[in-house]
Amino acid sequence: MSSQPAKGAQKEFRKRDLFYLVPLWVLSLIAPDPYLYHKKEFKRKDLYYLGAIGLAPLTWSDPHFHHVMVLAGIYAILALGLSLFMGYAGQISLGHAAFFGIGAYTTAILTTRHGFSPFVALWASVLSASAVAYLIGRPILKLKGYFLALATLGFGEIFLVMVRESTDLTGGVIGIFGIPWFSVAGFSFDTYLKQYYLIWGVVAGLFIFSKNLVRSKLGRALLAVAASEDAASSVGINVPRIKLEIFVLGAAFAGLAGSLFACIMSTANPETFGLGVTVPIVMMVILGGMGTIYGPVAGAILLTWLMDILSRYQEYSLPIYSIILILLLIFFPDGIGTRLNVRILYLIGYWAKKRKRDEGKL
Amino acid sequence: MGAIYALVALGFVTISRASQIINFAQGEFVMLGGVATFFLLNGVRLPYPLAALIAVMIVVLVGFAMYLSVLYPLRKASILILIMATLGISIFLSSTSGLIFGTLPKALPPFTDEQPLMFWGISMLPQSVWVLVSTLVLLTFLYLLSHRTLLGKAMEASSTDPLGADLLGISRSLMVFLAFGVSAGVGAFAGILITPIFFTSYNSGTLLGLKGFIAAVLGGWGKNSGAILGGFVLGIVESLSLAFIPSGYKDAVAFVILLLILYFRPKGILGSPFIDSRRW
Amino acid sequence: MKNIVSLLSVLTLIFVVWTSPAHVAEKPYKIGVNLEFTGPWAEVTKTVKNAMVLEVERINKMGGIDGHLLELLFEDNGFDPGRAAANMTKFTADKEIIAIVGPFEDNLQATTRAIAEREKITNMIICPSNPMVRSLKQKWAFNIAQSDIIVSQKLVDLSLARKYKKVLVFHGAWPLAQSLANYYKAFGEEKGMKVIISQETHKPTDIDMTPQIIKLKPIIEKEKVDAFYACTGGPPGPIICKNLRTQGIKIPILGTHAFGFGFIIALGGEAMEGVEFPAAKPVVFDQLDENDPVRPVNIDFDKRFRDRYGVGADQLAGYGHDTIGLIYDALKRCQGKVTRATFREALENTKGLKSCHGIYNYSPTDHDGLSKTDMVFVRIEGGKFKRFKLPGFE
Repeated sequence: MSSQPAKGAQKEFRKRDLFYLVPLWVLSLIAPDPYLYHKKEFKRKDLYYLGAIGLAPLTWSDPHFHHVMVLAGIYAILALGLSLFMGYAGQISLGHAAFFGIGAYTTAILTTRHGFSPFVALWASVLSASAVAYLIGRPILKLKGYFLALATLGFGEIFLVMVRESTDLTGGVIGIFGIPWFSVAGFSFDTYLKQYYLIWGVVAGLFIFSKNLVRSKLGRALLAVAASEDAASSVGINVPRIKLEIFVLGAAFAGLAGSLFACIMSTANPETFGLGVTVPIVMMVILGGMGTIYGPVAGAILLTWLMDILSRYQEYSLPIYSIILILLLIFFPDGIGTRLNVRILYLIGYWAKKRKRDEGKL
Repeated sequence: MGAIYALVALGFVTISRASQIINFAQGEFVMLGGVATFFLLNGVRLPYPLAALIAVMIVVLVGFAMYLSVLYPLRKASILILIMATLGISIFLSSTSGLIFGTLPKALPPFTDEQPLMFWGISMLPQSVWVLVSTLVLLTFLYLLSHRTLLGKAMEASSTDPLGADLLGISRSLMVFLAFGVSAGVGAFAGILITPIFFTSYNSGTLLGLKGFIAAVLGGWGKNSGAILGGFVLGIVESLSLAFIPSGYKDAVAFVILLLILYFRPKGILGSPFIDSRRW
Repeated sequence: MKNIVSLLSVLTLIFVVWTSPAHVAEKPYKIGVNLEFTGPWAEVTKTVKNAMVLEVERINKMGGIDGHLLELLFEDNGFDPGRAAANMTKFTADKEIIAIVGPFEDNLQATTRAIAEREKITNMIICPSNPMVRSLKQKWAFNIAQSDIIVSQKLVDLSLARKYKKVLVFHGAWPLAQSLANYYKAFGEEKGMKVIISQETHKPTDIDMTPQIIKLKPIIEKEKVDAFYACTGGPPGPIICKNLRTQGIKIPILGTHAFGFGFIIALGGEAMEGVEFPAAKPVVFDQLDENDPVRPVNIDFDKRFRDRYGVGADQLAGYGHDTIGLIYDALKRCQGKVTRATFREALENTKGLKSCHGIYNYSPTDHDGLSKTDMVFVRIEGGKFKRFKLPGFE
């Protein structure tokens, strides 16, 4: 903003400024700092978030609120894993739903057919999803850009067909019913409130893990890979290996989410793990802000509530939903949080500069 | 079936020749073409050729509108954003057409007689012959457009060397804009051709689009002839594979082919003008 | 968040096509409707919704139930189990809602039934879900439509009357079609028929069945099968018929009750001629016997539906009508003391309710309302559904 605005307009502009600057300032207090990964220590804001998440279900003791937040938490785990792969390593995956499905089916089969406890099945799900990711990651991760997107999409579709057709193992199109509630050492998570704390506890744990991860050597290496693979390999980073590692980690997150999802929904069937879940998860990562840790969690909460609220518009819900998604993409291609923060900084800077200039003139 | 994949693949190639965008909503153009013709034919009661023509024009307008409203503002965005934006458009188009035209599947009357013809013991619908012939005509047209006219050459230039195209005074946005129109038109035309044989319903576009994309990659990304070849190869392999595996696995065949081709020969069968010159 | 929710619910009240009189003495009875308004079932659920709205308006015009009006709350679950479950908890959280209708898709029902059981709220399922879920014998779930068992029994009757000894079943790869095929085989072989269930399947989105048919052709010729059972629903039905005829296979085709829609004939054209299937009564309500108890119900409902929406009522509209009819009937029998528990008791004791699809009887052991006698045989002739009778079987 180098050009000098007309003198008459200045005073008017300042008053009007307050209308959006005040809400933006309030937002900036709440919204996470997008560039947090530079900083080492936990900020006070983190504690606020933790407190808000912990107290929210007690304030709104509505089971529906708990239920939607449980779903949001599961999406948050998924999005967190995907964000490490997409946001940090700069790759594209449209097949993440398949790992979600692998986790869910592993839990479903182990608990209903073989009588394992959900807690054991959870670890088995994480392992199986990671193992599959390791196997397919090797060939697939050689691809880039559109072709990587398409290959992962293809993997997702192949997974769905396998699930539908191997009737003996997965129950085919009918799926598996009667998966028990999640329980640890005899304590069963049988209400939505308990599940809420379970899921968000897991989210908080994974959140801290991811946060440490991206500040570690691996995390720095990932950022380098995302910026330029050639440059990264020239400074001695084993690019294929690091991509594979993060892919497997993302799949492990998804397997964990799938296992919890199966326990909460008590069913697993193929329709749940298709493109219908991939699109929202990827949107959560994008809208939250690529390359942030808060982003996917915030995106998950936002989109899950959006879907829930739109439910009441019946046949109009899907068109409205897609329009909102497209608009958000157009206006916030780097994520809502990121864009808001940048805009706030910019506006505050502009406002301060303007005041100084005015004072100087006065 | 192969001809349809080929036609959808052609649409992808047309856009890719002008820009780096891969339009995941291409399948929806096909769907819209069929559904809009059905509506004009039975709702407005226009004669068949007129209905088809207007439907193609409507879909071309949708293609233009889609570029102007969504992809032009996102022209500097990353690949991921473009993928999600076109997927979002795809959801929007299919759900809106379901809302406007109803979600029941539509069948158009065939262009000519419905009696199956027999060629060397293989029964074939006359409509299939129409599809084959039209595909060839369209291919010729697109070939002439892209290789023999200034416009086509400008389009290709703007994709292979954006900076060079800018220097020569080619408006890249305009080229992509036109490419969207052409590819929407091709898609709509494909939709009208196939609706008499296969029914078109509001949600049939997505899978068609994906398979068309696979066909384009299979034949050689960025080549019209590759798209046609890829389409037919994919259609034939899919049909033949049913002799060996249960039909439930049919949809997986295309994706397995995709993974194999991406791994072993990302250039596709005929080779691609883009793969080596650009990093995918 | 709460503010947004309440603001939106106010908006919804305006949004939903709902005209309730301003002066209502008593609180309305609320019914939650959790259906797939978007996704592959959109058209189906729209018809059901229209019928339900029509019926509720009629009941409210008559003064409701003991001065209470009926009110429907609609939520779209977008074909997603997570959202279907979230809608269920949303409805159960609203203490005024006494019952929940839907969802339509089998796989979503498993989830919502489990929630209904836990939260103790009646869940009325329009389309019967797959037998694995039904066999759980749930206390709070009730089925409206004809179950796969009675359809299969009726179809076996049809095959026996036509003296088909060998039937080839080509079924869809979704729960209902699979269980229809299995029950048909079980009941048919009890009666001495030979039923071959093909290894080939199809999906609801398949647009060309020629490859499968070509694989089935040698079986048909080698085994000399008498009839081909297209065990499917929706668009695949006419596609199969068309592909069969294109391949020059001329054997009779049997269909399921899901063939009873006008659009099936429109799609299939001439290939559909001569297809026979057991159908629900609304499909051919004008051809029912004069003394059939459900004939006047259907004629009256069809007229009102046609006046309001411009198209005639079909099976699905019938389901909507019957759902509201059952609710109305059960609420009346609650005699003013309406809670979720008393409503369930009353619904379970429904006896001899005449509605569009037939006569509904529920009992503590049977939550499928209809029986075999509520179906008729139908053949497609000259582009129309034509009822026919088979002596000894009907």
